[in-house]
Amino acid sequence: MQPIVDWLLLGSFYAAVALGFSLVWGIMNIINLAHGVFIITGAYIAYQVATNLHLSPFLALFFSMGMLFALGWIIQYGIINRVIRGPLLVTFLLTFGLELLLTDTLQNLFTSDNRFINSTIEGAGINLGSAHISLVRFISAAIAIVLTAALAAFLSRTRLGNAILATGMDRDAARLMGIDIRQIYALTFAISAALAGAAGALLGQMQAFYPTRGELFTLRSFAIVVLGGLGTPWAVVAGGMVFAFIETFLPVVLPRVGVGYENAVAFAVFVIVLLVRPTGLFGKAFYSQ
Amino acid sequence: MSANLSPPTASETILELQHVTKRYGGLPAVDDVSFAVQRGEVLGVIGPNGAGKSTMVSLIGGSAAPTSGKVLFQGQAINTLPPHRRAHLGIGRTFQLTQPFTGLDIRENVMVGAFFGRRGLSRSQALHVADEVLARVGLAHKATLKGDQLTVADRKRLEVARALAMDPRILLLDEVMAGLTPAEVTDAIELIRSINRDGVTVLVVEHIVRAIASVSDRVLVLHHGRKIAEDTPDTVLSDPKVIEAYLGERYAKQKQAEKDPAQPASEWMEGLA
Amino acid sequence: MPRETSSTASNSPVAGSGPASGDATTTRAGRGWLWSLLGGLVILGGIAAIPTLGSDTLTSNWTIITMYIVLAQSWNFIGGFTGYSAFGNVTFFGIGAYAVAVSFLSNPKVISPYDPQRPQQFFIGLLAGVVISAIFAFLIGLPTLRLKGHYFAIATLGTSVAVEEIVTQRDVAGSGGLASPPFPPLSLHIAFYYGFVALALVCLLLTTWLARSKFGYALVAIRENEQAAQTLGIATTWYKVGAYVLSAIPTAIAGGIYAYYSSGFEPATVFTSSISVTMVLVTFLGGSGTVLGPIIGAIIFEYASQQFALSSGQATSVFGYHFGSDTLLGVAIIIVAIALPQGLVRVVQEFTRRPVAGGAGASGNSRANQFVEGVRRVRKFIAANGI
Ligand SMILES: Nc1ncnc2c1ncn2[C@@H]1O[C@H](COP(=O)(O)OP(=O)(O)O)[C@@H](O)[C@H]1O
Ligand SMILES: [Mg+2]
Repeated sequence: MQPIVDWLLLGSFYAAVALGFSLVWGIMNIINLAHGVFIITGAYIAYQVATNLHLSPFLALFFSMGMLFALGWIIQYGIINRVIRGPLLVTFLLTFGLELLLTDTLQNLFTSDNRFINSTIEGAGINLGSAHISLVRFISAAIAIVLTAALAAFLSRTRLGNAILATGMDRDAARLMGIDIRQIYALTFAISAALAGAAGALLGQMQAFYPTRGELFTLRSFAIVVLGGLGTPWAVVAGGMVFAFIETFLPVVLPRVGVGYENAVAFAVFVIVLLVRPTGLFGKAFYSQ
Repeated sequence: MSANLSPPTASETILELQHVTKRYGGLPAVDDVSFAVQRGEVLGVIGPNGAGKSTMVSLIGGSAAPTSGKVLFQGQAINTLPPHRRAHLGIGRTFQLTQPFTGLDIRENVMVGAFFGRRGLSRSQALHVADEVLARVGLAHKATLKGDQLTVADRKRLEVARALAMDPRILLLDEVMAGLTPAEVTDAIELIRSINRDGVTVLVVEHIVRAIASVSDRVLVLHHGRKIAEDTPDTVLSDPKVIEAYLGERYAKQKQAEKDPAQPASEWMEGLA
Repeated sequence: MPRETSSTASNSPVAGSGPASGDATTTRAGRGWLWSLLGGLVILGGIAAIPTLGSDTLTSNWTIITMYIVLAQSWNFIGGFTGYSAFGNVTFFGIGAYAVAVSFLSNPKVISPYDPQRPQQFFIGLLAGVVISAIFAFLIGLPTLRLKGHYFAIATLGTSVAVEEIVTQRDVAGSGGLASPPFPPLSLHIAFYYGFVALALVCLLLTTWLARSKFGYALVAIRENEQAAQTLGIATTWYKVGAYVLSAIPTAIAGGIYAYYSSGFEPATVFTSSISVTMVLVTFLGGSGTVLGPIIGAIIFEYASQQFALSSGQATSVFGYHFGSDTLLGVAIIIVAIALPQGLVRVVQEFTRRPVAGGAGASGNSRANQFVEGVRRVRKFIAANGI
């Protein structure tokens, strides 16, 4: 029972981790290697706000989202838009540069010590039969699902969301329809960064974090999106669930490949999936309504 | 086997499709198609947009694998061979959506065909072949341009030139006349005839019925992935089934277009689309 | 979709948009390759002369610069010529380094540091590194080179991260992968220096050969259009895997020499993605797919980062990616990606290119005009990737 609960909660959290990554990939065909460090930045912001303003970490989440939204907007509008028509390698390289820069900045600001956001409801939880559900994890999972639903609704129900989807499907056609591509791209990236910020605020309450922790989350995001496919926001939840399933139950099956091999596991998962089913387990090729 | 090898009389099968089907996610793009191409002939393939013509070319050329069925080349099953092996067997193809090497110049584009499509040519020999082929298709004066600096018509010529440089036994041409002016269409027809005279079997996929009718020995009609007719051009074009399924009311339009030579060929080609 | 250039196509030398791969093949046609080779030989000759100046700091700085020349040159085989975005070439570097370390550690019978067997252990390790890397590149390349674009990039990036993790967890060459083998003190410290110079020379010759050979044509054709390449008879899989293996081998040798040179290292230093990315960055900076690009890019970037580290008052550590230098690398990447994605070599080519005689773009012959035209072309060239 406990492993199943752990799996579902972790899977939902992973949806929040990869949601923004999947959006940017699907709409702009950019692999944002800075995605992981966006998450970590979100964690630090939530940490600072929660500690200094004595707010609940779940309220601090909104600060993380807001600040990362702004950061994302600036990065896309000021930097990535200038290279977006270049070869894939250039955008890939560029986001890696951003990753290095942000990681180093975090290191200078906060040192490389482990941090953890102490929640006021730390330790609280419900017992469900033999399983214990931590309240922090439960609320985090709920927030992750709410964010997914909100993104899905925003994309399909609002004019702006539709403009994002249209741009993702055919940039030139969207431009002819009078959509300002640069603004739409900036908005897309900003939303993605804000989602990463939210994931960071949740992460900080569940695990210790430090500046270079981001790389692992980028790799995991990639594996999750590859598993779920680039179809819709809900595909990310599916991918997150599958990935969390592997992470939760692999140590049960192969006790020696437990702790310490997180990266290798993430890597192995996505290479195998890519080779067996290049469009992901559930996915369609592009974001769509 | 056959005593007489001269193209017009010998009827030896060079390429054969046996019950070939290709599905993309459930929908068949090519549906249980069988036919044979005789060595030395020009076989025309027509059909409305989405009929599966390009898919069929890819199944023969190897860029797509059939879901079921067999593709035989000179009696050998080739449907599991990768494209480069088929190229070495003598299958040359063009792409409807042209695929130039954008960063290479035109001469090098064609040279790659000779260098890798044939065995044992040196660099300079391959370049020499490229120059010959470029002159033949009328691209010699643009040899130093880059692959992405060409007009649509010239991109089509480049496709033909590259395939031709491989010295193929069979040449698969996928809508190489689309977008050409009537005068250019006439040139293209002449080129296909001269290639065929050199002993190359040609499978020519085209929208332009006039072109197909004048150049092909036989015509095959695809509709919704199915073969609905296969016969001499005259018979096929007067087959009520074909007129209904493919030409329909647009046939009238085409007749009209033929009376009006000022109207570019592409106009009524689009009408058929 | 295809751009209509109709009547101007024959006399306008300037493509509307800078193609991603640009004039990568300029060295292929005509005598360009000869000049590139000569240029490369002059540069390497200059580097070989540096130790005669007698400054130890200078020599050790240029040891690392030359090492990055080798790394960039080898990345160029798969990334520049073949156009596959390998982001994990550091894997081979690390394998090379650990092979040498393990080789020294695996012979406990040799106790005295002056034992004549010692140098032998080094070459055995180097050879083992080459063989293991080549096999590894083959085995990893065969499935992953079927992947395109981002997928290949992240698969290779993941390889290096995963291998680092495994080396750490399996305690290769020491607890947590911390390797400090009993390297014998080398009386001829300069041997490392010339080891790297010789390797760079080999890579230069290999690159020049590649720029003219059938093998090289196949790789460039794959980069420009893989589907067309296959259809024209190129066995793309084997060429790609071949290029990947070719790119792994010098990288592994460099890793082996570095292992001895560093006299002690850990997984985080020889498997760091920063090295992979530096290979990509400097090749882009100079011009990927060109003969001189990786050499020039590596010199400029590594020299600049060493100067930066000095002026900001930090110790120049060999892989000083702890404080500040990651920031420098990040900033350099952003600048290069925005301003120079085609590389310096191609910008110079673009600037010096003469318009076709009688072409629309040729305005007068005066030097001033030519200069202005050149600047205009370059600006257009640089801005080509934005929206
Ligand atoms: N790679 C593909 N994936 C999915 N569907 C495809 C693909 N290629 C072709 N199709 C579909 O197969 C059908 C036949 O296409 P095609 O062979 O291009 O027709 P034609 O060349 O006769 O116009 C079309 O409905 C097309 O949408
Ligand atoms: Mg077609």
